[in-house]
Amino acid sequence: MKILIIEDEAELASSMTAYLSSQHYLCELASDYPQALEKISNYKYDCILLDLMLPGGNGMKILELLKAQNKEDGVIIISAKNSLEDKINGLKIGADDYLPKPFHLSELAARIYSVIRRRNFANANIIQQNELKIDVLSKSVTVNDKAIMLTKKELDLLLFFVGNKNRVISKSALAEHISGDLADMLDNHDFIYAHIKNLKKKLSEAGCGNYLKTLYGNGYKWEL
Amino acid sequence: MNKLLNKSLKRFTVYAGIVLACSIPVYYLAISELWQYELSEHDIILTTEAAREDSFLIIGAITLLTVFFFALILGGFVWLNRRISGQLWRPFYNTLEKIKAFDLTRNTTVKFEPVNIIEFDELNTSINRLLESNVAAFRQQKEFTENAAHELQTPLAIVQSKLDILFQNRQITSEQAILIEKIQNALSRVSRINKNLLLLAKIENQQFPEKEFIDIAPLLQEIHFLLSDFKEEISLHLEAAGSPRVEANKILVETMLTNLLMNAIRHSPHPADIHIILNHNSLSVTNPGATPLHTEKLFKRFNTASRLTPGSGLGLSIVKEICVRYQWKIGYNFTDNRHIFKVKFEAD
Repeated sequence: MKILIIEDEAELASSMTAYLSSQHYLCELASDYPQALEKISNYKYDCILLDLMLPGGNGMKILELLKAQNKEDGVIIISAKNSLEDKINGLKIGADDYLPKPFHLSELAARIYSVIRRRNFANANIIQQNELKIDVLSKSVTVNDKAIMLTKKELDLLLFFVGNKNRVISKSALAEHISGDLADMLDNHDFIYAHIKNLKKKLSEAGCGNYLKTLYGNGYKWEL
Repeated sequence: MNKLLNKSLKRFTVYAGIVLACSIPVYYLAISELWQYELSEHDIILTTEAAREDSFLIIGAITLLTVFFFALILGGFVWLNRRISGQLWRPFYNTLEKIKAFDLTRNTTVKFEPVNIIEFDELNTSINRLLESNVAAFRQQKEFTENAAHELQTPLAIVQSKLDILFQNRQITSEQAILIEKIQNALSRVSRINKNLLLLAKIENQQFPEKEFIDIAPLLQEIHFLLSDFKEEISLHLEAAGSPRVEANKILVETMLTNLLMNAIRHSPHPADIHIILNHNSLSVTNPGATPLHTEKLFKRFNTASRLTPGSGLGLSIVKEICVRYQWKIGYNFTDNRHIFKVKFEAD
């Protein structure tokens, strides 16, 4: 899987590259507008991470160009502006997602995972991991073909883990993922424990292997 | 308090009164002298009785005339006063009205019409200069907040990403993991403050112009559902007896409702019951508490009422700002050991 990171902030780009490379993504970097233009016209990517404020031009133009050329690449806009207008505009032009800065790398990985899955026509809605099968469209989860009932938050968590396998995910990343903007008001992320406990219990009762590990008491890892 | 012109009117009147009163004996003496002179010229000798009668008559006539003229002067003064204040002072009152109506937070500008009087013209120019520099300073301050919050997002993103990478390190000890979590919590808080500051600045800068008709009840039910399982020991009771329909920006209304409910959840002891009551035109959120909060500080920025649950310190400021924007009324009350926040969805 090839990913193009269009980001002028070198340190942020290097973090993204480090995290995503360890997820077995192949990352390429474009740090300004001309470089980004060159890369998108010469190569094909599974997902493009696009910063809107670039030296030499506006990221939105790149998105328009991509869509004008009927490119299939998935696009996630990453912006420091967090403006509703940009979000609506970007999604209208054809971006797949919009992620405001600052974000957790695990959140980024989960979104990339979901964008690539959706872009990938075959098997688009089914995620299979050993005995575990998740149908994203119908929101159903089966273990060894036996259905288990998960709440919306538990399913969200499960998908987040699957999109970040073998990575350590912090409690706050999980909290922010499942509560969205509400996490802004929460300073205590303990509510996450209850959801994870329930998820673990349901999975193991259905005979699913113990993939979800707790690390250092405040991190989680989906080990495969 | 007196009007400026009334003050001078009073003095003029008193002065005129004194002058006229003093003129009574002077007139009397003069007329008596003339009368005596006329009488002696024609060799007329009056009896003392007739002489006294004459002097009474003279005094009476003079007093009457003086009072008449005094009334005339008084009436004239009042009439002139009205005319002068109506015409001469009109530019001043115009200016006054305009300054009274001016509100720094409401992007309005003041424009004074040109006047032909040097003093007022100078006054208007000076006030204009003062207001302009005020407006400019205010705008700069708002822009600064927004720009600063923007500029902070990228370094925050870098710190966040480095922390995430650090957390992946296999050689981390559990002590280091605890340290990372503490850094993470503080970082989340900074990000939260920054995000809220940005939101506040955007609301103040009149962004979010899109408006639509929103029924509060369904929106509130959605938020209630989202929040209902955040803390197990806190139960949220929603009673919707009506559903106000407002014309506003949906994001702002959502933000306001969420902030109000989250505020109640955060500042309640465990366990606690929170009541959310919606009427046809108002919403009230009540939660248990020990002591009343400082009403005048409550909605100010960074004024966290309780040190036990530090938040971004901006939640209620945002609520207030949204209410101000749509001219809704927000109030706070403390009765029977419960905090009551009430929003009235109508302008007064």
